[in-house]
Amino acid sequence: MKDVMGIIYTTKDDFALRELTASRAVAALPVVGRYRIIDFMLSSMVNSDIKNVGVIMQKNYHSLMDHIGAGKEWDLHTKNDGLFILPPFQTRENQGTYQGTVDALRSNISYVKRSNQEYVILCSTYSVFNTTFDNVLDEHVASGADVTMLYTKYPIEDRSSSSNTAQHCYLDLDEEGAVRNIEMGAEHHELENFSMNVFLMKRELLVLLVEQAHAKGIYSIHQAIKAGFLDRGNYLVRGHEYTGYHKRVESIPSYYAFNMDMLDEATRKDLFASPVFTKVRDEVPARYAKGAVAINSLLADGCVIEGRVENSVLFRGVRVRKGAVVRNSIIMQESDIRENVEVEHVIFDKGVTIREGRLIGQKGYPIVIKKNFTL
Amino acid sequence: MQKKQCIAMLLAGGQGSRLGLLTKKVAKPAIPFGGKYRIIDFPLSNCSNSLIDVVGVLTQYQPLELNRYIGSGLPWDLDLNKGGVFVLPPYMTSKSGEWYRGTANAIYQNIPFIEQYDPEYVLILSGDHIYKMNYRAMLSSHIARGADCTIAVRPVPWEDAPSFGIMNTDEEDNITEFEEKPKEPKSNLASMGVYVFNWSVLRKYLEDDEANPNSHNDFGKNIIPAMLADGLGLSAYRFEDYWKDVGTIRSLWDSNMDLISDPPRFNLYDKSWRIYARNPIMVPHYVGDKACVEGSMVTEGCEVYGTALRSVLFAGATVEEGALVEDSVVMPGSVICSGAVVRRSIIGENTIIGADCVVGDGGDSEIALVGSEVVLERGSVVLPGQQSDGREEGA
Repeated sequence: MKDVMGIIYTTKDDFALRELTASRAVAALPVVGRYRIIDFMLSSMVNSDIKNVGVIMQKNYHSLMDHIGAGKEWDLHTKNDGLFILPPFQTRENQGTYQGTVDALRSNISYVKRSNQEYVILCSTYSVFNTTFDNVLDEHVASGADVTMLYTKYPIEDRSSSSNTAQHCYLDLDEEGAVRNIEMGAEHHELENFSMNVFLMKRELLVLLVEQAHAKGIYSIHQAIKAGFLDRGNYLVRGHEYTGYHKRVESIPSYYAFNMDMLDEATRKDLFASPVFTKVRDEVPARYAKGAVAINSLLADGCVIEGRVENSVLFRGVRVRKGAVVRNSIIMQESDIRENVEVEHVIFDKGVTIREGRLIGQKGYPIVIKKNFTL
Repeated sequence: MQKKQCIAMLLAGGQGSRLGLLTKKVAKPAIPFGGKYRIIDFPLSNCSNSLIDVVGVLTQYQPLELNRYIGSGLPWDLDLNKGGVFVLPPYMTSKSGEWYRGTANAIYQNIPFIEQYDPEYVLILSGDHIYKMNYRAMLSSHIARGADCTIAVRPVPWEDAPSFGIMNTDEEDNITEFEEKPKEPKSNLASMGVYVFNWSVLRKYLEDDEANPNSHNDFGKNIIPAMLADGLGLSAYRFEDYWKDVGTIRSLWDSNMDLISDPPRFNLYDKSWRIYARNPIMVPHYVGDKACVEGSMVTEGCEVYGTALRSVLFAGATVEEGALVEDSVVMPGSVICSGAVVRRSIIGENTIIGADCVVGDGGDSEIALVGSEVVLERGSVVLPGQQSDGREEGA
């Protein structure tokens, strides 16, 4: 896979994720006790031996840059190629904010042109999955496709009505796996092939696609493919089904569900079948005091548990003190649940301290407490 | 090459034969400790935290695992242009080439390495001890007192003194006499195996020692006594905090247990003096529906479905449902199968304790040991004090 470069388009902050993305990009959202969303895309790429990865940043990218640094943890701090952080910038043609993937790619097109790999894999940071792209490339080459899009089955009965479905894209495929059409939004069709926002094509074709779409005022990459390739008919766009665990994290319920999915052994082993790299914080192992109780939970290093933890995900350095109870909750880094406090169905951002009392959210609608808040 | 005021030389070549099966395939400094560390993380992190940025690691016995672990020195912030960590195995020259014959000979053979940095002081460390120490503070004391050599010492219980190298000192903590494992100790100040030398002085003594065919080429047996005999200034530097020589199965077990006592006798939670380690980057640990974990340390990649009491579980260890681990140390990647009972034991790396095995016992019984990469068959028994590599049936 040395001949493939990767581009990660880190999506704009999202209102549906409320307080959690108030001060950080979706890509930097903490998940599963120690990771950030972008770790999954970066790891998928480096596990595929991709050596050149560009990360297009938008708003609130401070915590994202802090997290990925020079790319050491992903072995991307190399002399040739490696990690390229592409923050927004302003020129006469470039406003410094992006209206979509096409727009963002056009601003950074010189990076794409300057790279010397034959192929490019483009992905966004809403879809969480962990894979290697070797078989995708093999199939792409063997089938003679111009573009390969990853999709996953998303049956109608599983779809929630609340989330921002307008951006969801579904693929209409023929028997051979060729894409006939792309439908946007979830309302008006019966298609189940949910686009994961992962595209493989030749680097030069991506440059062409972006330049054509920009000339027509198209910002969405799906629309660009539809207008530039599908409607013209002389390009082969194919779908590649991804059968592993996939979750689109785009709202508080989906964020909560993703973390809780990881409490299931089979699901966890599916997502973490190949290693997921992340920034190392050199925490001490978690310590359980005498009388501590923890069941069906994931706990990161640095936690000190003296109370009770059930069905929860605890990030690094969380304290659950004597008599405290944490149930069905997600507690981020360095939060402190003091003596005899009871919390249930909550999401605490980093550094939240609860001094006393109870905080019980509703099933399906967890209470979200913002960063560094003391109650 | 940039001149350095002080560089460190870490003696990591020892076999550690008293650790039995644990050092069959790895050198003692590479032995896992405290859930996610290895013994060598302690001196390396101390160097990094003390801003000593050139560390030579002298290896000889089973060095592969240790070399891989040290790598570029990145976990300890020692992957530097102007310094770094260097693995120094014995090497051939045009005239000769031989194994390291002793601690002093090992340093002697690396005089050219040290000379590259033209240091005023050389810190000699060993890869056998668990402690957190600011070497800069010791160096400052050495400089302030104008000593030729400063040796870190700590008081040990009088009854234990006969098993240490004991320093007899005057009222100003100048060392007057050194006795290796004295039967009737005159002092209870034990050498911690941490030395600061003026390099020009040490260099001369190393060369003289090398010229003496009857010497054991050892710091404790030869270099220090020779310096004392010549009336050089040797100072004792007192260190009162936690320090443990983990040279035996019992002391390795004790030292792990010191992390989980309440309050911990050895506290790793001080963020101003972090201990760094090469991180396997695994998923946070999972505790199952029926798990019971108390008084224990558990780290990334562990899966606990059974019971773990007063134990240290290392990265990727699994305790299956119905298994009991009590007062034990389970090293990375090992699996305790359903129905097994492991008490007062050390389980090596990537070992499988089969279903219904019984390893060790409770009370004051001696520590049982199962080696690394061992598969203990269903129902096997390993008695207290026994070592098992899975090949012969215990009992």
